[in-house]
Amino acid sequence: MGVNACEEPAGDPLLERGRAILRKLEDGPWPSHVTELRKGRYPIDAYAKGLGQGSSPWYGGSARIPCVLVGFIARRTKDGKHTELHFRVYHPSGQIYRTDDLRKLLDLADEYGLGTVGAMGQTGDLILPIRADCASQAVDALRDLGTDLGGTGDTFRDTAACVGPALCEYALFDSLAVRDFYFQYPDIYAKLSSQFFPFKVKLKVSACPMDCSMAAHRSDFGFVGFWEGAPAVDQAAFRAKVDQGEVSPEEVVRRCPGSAIGWDPVSRTISFDGSKCRKSMNCIRKAFPAIRAGPNRKIAFTIGGNSKGRFGPKLSKPVAVLDDPNSVGPFMTRLLDYWSDRSPHKDRLGDLLVEEGLSSTVDRFKDSLPVTPSGHAPGGSRIVNSCVLSDSERGAYSTWAEAIAKEYDG
Amino acid sequence: MSAPVQRLKKTLPVPYTKYLPDAISRNVGHWTERKFHGAGIIEHISDTGDHLFTVKIGGPPNARFSTATLRKFAEITDSEGSRALRFTRSGNVELFAESLESALRVKKAVEELGYFVGGWGNTLWSIQSCTAYLTCTTAVVDAPSLTKALYDHLVPYFTGAVPLPSKLRINVAGCPSSCGGLAADIVLSGHYGAAPDFDREKIRLCLPARAEVLDRVVPEVQMVCPVNAIRSFPNEDGSVGIEIIAERCIGCGRCKDVCDHVTWNPEKIGVSVLVGGKSSNTGVGPTLARVLVPWIPAHPPEYRETVAVVRKIIDTWRAGAEPGERIADWIHRVGIETVFQQLRVPVGRWNRPVELSTGYGVRQFLPR
Repeated sequence: MGVNACEEPAGDPLLERGRAILRKLEDGPWPSHVTELRKGRYPIDAYAKGLGQGSSPWYGGSARIPCVLVGFIARRTKDGKHTELHFRVYHPSGQIYRTDDLRKLLDLADEYGLGTVGAMGQTGDLILPIRADCASQAVDALRDLGTDLGGTGDTFRDTAACVGPALCEYALFDSLAVRDFYFQYPDIYAKLSSQFFPFKVKLKVSACPMDCSMAAHRSDFGFVGFWEGAPAVDQAAFRAKVDQGEVSPEEVVRRCPGSAIGWDPVSRTISFDGSKCRKSMNCIRKAFPAIRAGPNRKIAFTIGGNSKGRFGPKLSKPVAVLDDPNSVGPFMTRLLDYWSDRSPHKDRLGDLLVEEGLSSTVDRFKDSLPVTPSGHAPGGSRIVNSCVLSDSERGAYSTWAEAIAKEYDG
Repeated sequence: MSAPVQRLKKTLPVPYTKYLPDAISRNVGHWTERKFHGAGIIEHISDTGDHLFTVKIGGPPNARFSTATLRKFAEITDSEGSRALRFTRSGNVELFAESLESALRVKKAVEELGYFVGGWGNTLWSIQSCTAYLTCTTAVVDAPSLTKALYDHLVPYFTGAVPLPSKLRINVAGCPSSCGGLAADIVLSGHYGAAPDFDREKIRLCLPARAEVLDRVVPEVQMVCPVNAIRSFPNEDGSVGIEIIAERCIGCGRCKDVCDHVTWNPEKIGVSVLVGGKSSNTGVGPTLARVLVPWIPAHPPEYRETVAVVRKIIDTWRAGAEPGERIADWIHRVGIETVFQQLRVPVGRWNRPVELSTGYGVRQFLPR
């Protein structure tokens, strides 16, 4: 065992094999995570060992930080040589930083951490590797910066919003403010430090049907802005775009997935059948701002999407069309209580809906909704993305992949 | 320093408005138009008369930045007077600039650091990678190194040097939990390839100590199995034993998720390849990627076969798609069977060509 745990002596063949892989991962044109990690103090030999042995080097570890129950993850390597501790840190909605504020966070990462960050975790948080010996001080330093660690385990995870009105002209409501609202909503806020749910809970907010926050799939509670009926059009502005060659009206008509658009070349007028409009944004993105969302703005509220759960990855299911995105806190609270009472550990809200049905679950709490539930969930929204194969099946796919690899060699 | 008990009340970074630079603050909700200047610079035009430019930088795998690199990005935007940046949800970085000349200088400075600018419009927007061997206990294959290998081959699609039919997102996950989700055009998801096994000694750490409790307690590692492929029973010495029934197992890894001592044969691991997912409501609307090939090998560091299969899918899509068609839209139009035939994929029990189902997201609320 070497003096410096980050630099083990040579001799372990798996480690040597892994180190050779790391060197290769520093070649090639794309910026390398290995190069970045080497600039800090992340235990890179643990990663090397994993790559060398062909499996993750990590077991769950443990750490204790006084009065912090949520927000950090500890690991130890299977060979007992390394540990790792990281915080999940809340970004402000939209993840926009003035460089002065960012530098304070980077100073913290240098002083208490390993000189490296994961700028964006999968839920939308900042990953901050921390030295175990000063984790408690790091918590205070982080809180002094106006943010905190959170969102690990069976709790309300970090919530996420698209960039919304801060940068995007398509935003139909303030997705960033809605994320802020639910973060502070008393029944949610009170649970940010507890682990009382069966499994994780996620909430995502997208200000238009482009759904940049992926509310349609990756959230137990999803909010997506849309409009009722036809898009709004400024005929003169649209004609100007046609005259300038910016927009082909025939193509706008042809590309509409709902076949909801007509173009009269004589009067040079574009027309919409609002009942057929799928809110696909195709025409709006082509001809904005001559074509824009219709005036009757709404929010689609869906539940039960997830990628990780008992019954596999799912798309979210419809609950109601909202006027006010901040109006479903009571419904969410009651539904979360119901789910917590019913579901075993590691079952998501979406799994409960699979077992008990969408409408029978939603109907129990419809009196806490501001509007009548509506919508229709098509079937077949679940996927199995893993499998168990025989050696001959693996062989067949391997032969197929090998043939393609040969095609691309050299 | 606050009293430790105060830590139970989380400090939230709200409201978002207090974090914004002035150039954004005064334009929230006022943006009216955007112009693209190449694949990596967007000009945002506001009705206040302001123009703000964002320069998108592709992040390293799993968005693992050194603080040194982020400080350099901060210096670049400071030297242009904009003094702000943003992290995207896919782990890329956007630097702000206040004129096109300034944005082009930012681009040049970023490229001199070895980073690429691109990823908007008809390009590869991102390859999103989970953390896998960097910190995760359940990872089967290593997503960040696979992501690096893919990016090395796909750089021209990110920079826009080689145009794509439309936007392309790739997600790489080290295990079937697929933490990045399945709403991406191409998804690679690591898995065991065979039923998992367990460490005979250490598995006891994940089981009740004594068999008497089995008549009222289901061990968690058994309870989480969605297909009843794990059975528990009393051993002769009074301890609890378990058995994994390979014929029932679907390799989902939920047992591994609750117990570190579930193991697998490293010779049989690989990735499943899924195609046609997306979250946005364009074209056919939101849909989940589905299995094209249930297993292919994944050998670091080159990942030769894995990278080749992804390139083949992209090339087949490029050859067959109409302008603006994402992979899901292309599959929906030509039919999944055609795509399978074009790729000559062997069809088996785990990858039958099933048409994409559609009508999700906001479409669930629209008149049918």
